Amino acid sequence: MRPLQTFWRVASLITITAVVLAGCAPAATPTAEVVRETEIVTVRETQIVEQVVTATPEPFKPQGTLTIGLTTDIAAIEVPYAPERQATNASWTMFDSLVLQNPDGSLGPALADSWEISPDGKTITFKLHQGVKFHDGSDFTADDVVFSWEAYSQDTVTYAGNWTLASSVEKVDDYTVNVITDEPNAMLLPTMAWNWAIIPEDWGGKTQQEFAESPIGTGPFVFKEWIKGDRLVVTANPNYWRQGYPKVEQVVFRFMPEAATRVAAVQAGEIDIAPRLTSEDAKSLLGVSGVQIIRYPVDRSYYLAFNNLSTGKGTPIEDPKVRQALAYAIDIDGIIDAVFDGFATRSVGFVAPGNLGFDGAEPVPYDPERAKALLAEAGYPNGFEMNMACPDSGYPKINDVCQAISAQLNEVGVRGELELQEANAYWDREAKKELPPLFVDAWSVTIGEAWPRLSGALNEGETYANWYDAKLDEMINQIAVTVDEEERAALYGEIQVYMRENPPFVYLYYPEAFEAVTTRVQGYQPRAAENYFLWEVSVTD
Amino acid sequence: MQRHLINSLFQSILVLIGVLVMVFFMVRATGDPAAVMLAREASPEQVAAFREQMGFNRPLYIQFLDFIRKALMGDFGNSLHYRLPALPLILERMPYTVYLALVALVMAVVIALPLGLVGGASPNTPIDWIARAVGLLGQTVPPFWLALLLIYALAVNLRLFPTSGSERWNSVILPAFVLSLGTMGRLVRLTRSSVLEIMGDDYIRTARSKGLMPRVIFFKHALRNAAIPLITVIAVQFGYMLGGTVIIESVFSWPGLGSLTAESIGRRDFPLVQGIALFTSVVVVLLTFASDVLYALVDPRVRYE
Repeated sequence: MRPLQTFWRVASLITITAVVLAGCAPAATPTAEVVRETEIVTVRETQIVEQVVTATPEPFKPQGTLTIGLTTDIAAIEVPYAPERQATNASWTMFDSLVLQNPDGSLGPALADSWEISPDGKTITFKLHQGVKFHDGSDFTADDVVFSWEAYSQDTVTYAGNWTLASSVEKVDDYTVNVITDEPNAMLLPTMAWNWAIIPEDWGGKTQQEFAESPIGTGPFVFKEWIKGDRLVVTANPNYWRQGYPKVEQVVFRFMPEAATRVAAVQAGEIDIAPRLTSEDAKSLLGVSGVQIIRYPVDRSYYLAFNNLSTGKGTPIEDPKVRQALAYAIDIDGIIDAVFDGFATRSVGFVAPGNLGFDGAEPVPYDPERAKALLAEAGYPNGFEMNMACPDSGYPKINDVCQAISAQLNEVGVRGELELQEANAYWDREAKKELPPLFVDAWSVTIGEAWPRLSGALNEGETYANWYDAKLDEMINQIAVTVDEEERAALYGEIQVYMRENPPFVYLYYPEAFEAVTTRVQGYQPRAAENYFLWEVSVTD
Repeated sequence: MQRHLINSLFQSILVLIGVLVMVFFMVRATGDPAAVMLAREASPEQVAAFREQMGFNRPLYIQFLDFIRKALMGDFGNSLHYRLPALPLILERMPYTVYLALVALVMAVVIALPLGLVGGASPNTPIDWIARAVGLLGQTVPPFWLALLLIYALAVNLRLFPTSGSERWNSVILPAFVLSLGTMGRLVRLTRSSVLEIMGDDYIRTARSKGLMPRVIFFKHALRNAAIPLITVIAVQFGYMLGGTVIIESVFSWPGLGSLTAESIGRRDFPLVQGIALFTSVVVVLLTFASDVLYALVDPRVRYE
């Protein structure tokens, strides 16, 4: 038994040593690195995206690899099938649209150099950019636009609805194409900007199934590999039509469901961008060398709604003075500080910063005395009884928010119970207009324009917010058919004024998004709908 | 032996039927899929159309019979999220999970068996203390916590391993180690206790008294007998590893079946969750059955029963 014992003794000694070493080692953090100041950069929707194509191409070479950690698995890499924002962003690296939306909500050229709207507003004629090539080397022409529309307006396509806004797409000549709608539709252009990814005619010679697994576009990056549940890799398109772009050689999207792992990976420098962090995660990364935290308001407006369609009918909330009073009664800044550690932005309305026509209005200040005065003016010096509902945990920290609101309303004399209801049941009741006269909800938009939010919440037929105001309805309908961008911006201006004087809601806040970005990344500017373009981004080493 | 095998085959089938029933009804008990999968702004007409299309509007027992009929033919339906048939999606992820589990199993066996054998053969020595510590810690340390600790210590601070993913050759080491711990602990304890028990058995005493070399006693008599329960445990543990990687795969962003499971449950991707549950059950049942066969082959007592 002796030789055996000796062997195992030695073996286990080695094991012990290894374990002890491993146990000690973590304490020895590398200290040789240059420690840079960690800074918080707040991205606001102010910068105009460069879309000028320089006449004299400067020689350039894309450099480096950009790695992005995603919180959800990419389910599809064709834009019209991509189910959520992160998959859409990843897909867009390979495609271009005809038009591009600027950070202020206005539209600029992309694959189309210019466009013209017919006098009746039903036909938009696009002049296409010439000399653009698909990744397989074929030329981009009007036929490809027609094919893209035909392919993606089919019933079987997940987001066909974004394409069927147009009733037909017709080729005029090789570089001119008409997009036709049955009625003037103001949402067509912004919708195209975020959804119409142009693909080559006949799927570039692939079968549809092959195309879904390895698509071809005109975009800044070329498909390289896609391992479901793991990563999507795209490489720089050497013939990209925006000269001088893209700036990075390769982009890797990695699927990392666990927040703690994303935080660790960005610290280790394995990923450059870690999106969708909580404020706690973000705080834990403050002071880490080589990592900066960016935060920006998300285009989702939280609001306290009034129900004038069913339960609130004939109650004090029908008086605009009462509704204004409630806005003064709620200390939203206090709620943001207490509940969100200050990490949220006050909402000023349904037209959010970055939306077309945003007028930069100031939020209503907290002034409970003013609220009481307004209530007295409206004939309720002693307040009134009214219940309020809230989707239980339907949004981050919403229960705390609702409790604070309920307590503050109580202070000015609006007494009532707070009904916390299971979120899905809550939204079901909301659709059926069964909620109490006061309730809390939120609405986001993804096309840089407030219309879908206004229409969904307030338009007759939908009135998801359980509020109907004929004048407002008319204004929203007017926006929908005003295809001209400037005229529409002016209408948004008017509706913002009207919605302040006759508020259908008390506006609460826009939440904030946190992302950790390594300092080697330049030019990364996510927008309020968590959308971004990567051709502008570069990395330094 | 035949009776033994027929018995275990029969049990396997029973287990599978039970799994089918449970999977089908449990997934549906968690809520209305249409409410979860459609945007909440969806109109009642859209919801109705969706239910119709997915067959959610039919009576439950008809949905169940349909589910069984198709499952028997390998058709688990289309994933709602990926819009692709569930089975190929599962098969695509399977190799990653099998690879991870195999590496973990090797780690567990390589570390646990020697420790257990030596610990059992020479109780109350330092090596035995280590064996007992590994046995205890392996089964009690929470994998999620350990995983994060290892990521911070070895990946973030020392940069010895990648934090996550599957790209590099050494990506598998951390997740496999964490996954192996539970099995390692169990194996160490089991090996140690069976060696300890066997070494006190009459036939070992007989072997000693007739003057056999300790090495021969240990390898020929003790080890063979100790190996028998280990086979079953290793097979069961391997099955457990295949199914039990959910947390570990998610933490390490490992693109296997476990992270697919976690994601699919979160999205209420019914067909995919059902497919995964069925698939892993079949694998575990097969493994158990295989270990029964192996058991019979290794242990004559079972064969001649």
